Amino acid sequence: MATRSRPVSSEFLFFKAMALFVFWIFLSASFEWVHLGLGLIFSFVVAWLNSGHSPFVPKFRLWLRVLLYLPWLFYKIVQSSLNLSKLILHPELPITPQLIPVKSKLRHHAAVVLFGNSITLTPGTITAEVDGNNLIIHSMDKSDDAAIKEIESKIADIFKDEEPDL
Amino acid sequence: MQILSVIFISVGLFFLIVAAIGVIRLPDVFSRSHAVSLTDSLGAFLMLVGIALHEGLGTNMLKILIVLALLYILNPVIAHATIRAALRSGLKPWEKENS
Repeated sequence: MATRSRPVSSEFLFFKAMALFVFWIFLSASFEWVHLGLGLIFSFVVAWLNSGHSPFVPKFRLWLRVLLYLPWLFYKIVQSSLNLSKLILHPELPITPQLIPVKSKLRHHAAVVLFGNSITLTPGTITAEVDGNNLIIHSMDKSDDAAIKEIESKIADIFKDEEPDL
Repeated sequence: MQILSVIFISVGLFFLIVAAIGVIRLPDVFSRSHAVSLTDSLGAFLMLVGIALHEGLGTNMLKILIVLALLYILNPVIAHATIRAALRSGLKPWEKENS
């Protein structure tokens, strides 16, 4: 499936290895020559191993919006966690599990990835199947429908200025 | 700070217990995986924050925060893979009978 035709510039490889090396120093927090040397070797090896899979071009504006979206998502996660805990602890177990087919109006690969991940991360809903922008979602509660719509409109808002690629 | 971390860990523990009860009580693979995702989203989150507060500022706290970020990135992938495998192998989700 993965094609290795994409040429990778050596500058990019070097940049990636250096980023990994800084990460290594943070984690190991020791400045002996053995550790530093091993870290340098492994950051180049890992950067080289990953060089075939970099179709992703970082866009600053997009990342900023995604970062601003995360706190809101976390708030939704807490909300639905509490809701699900209530359902589980309820003596009569008032759950209504169902599969919901959703045709999303998102027009970007990255947007659909973000959408599916957000849904799965929210307790009570799980993305069961993805094909283009058709998703099948398994949900526990009838009220989850509205939450899914809300997440979708938020994500459409993030990607409104990008070129569609789906 | 220590008291705060104990509170965080206890609340996290409560959600882990709820998730365990959920795994036992819920009827099928699909709904049980929801209970499991409750473990990651609140249970593990609160416990790791509690441990980070206990450790105080330093590299250990940074490492715990990295674990947390990885948990939030990897868990949806695993949950989705499990559920998709269940669906593709032909399992039908449990549904409430009309009463």
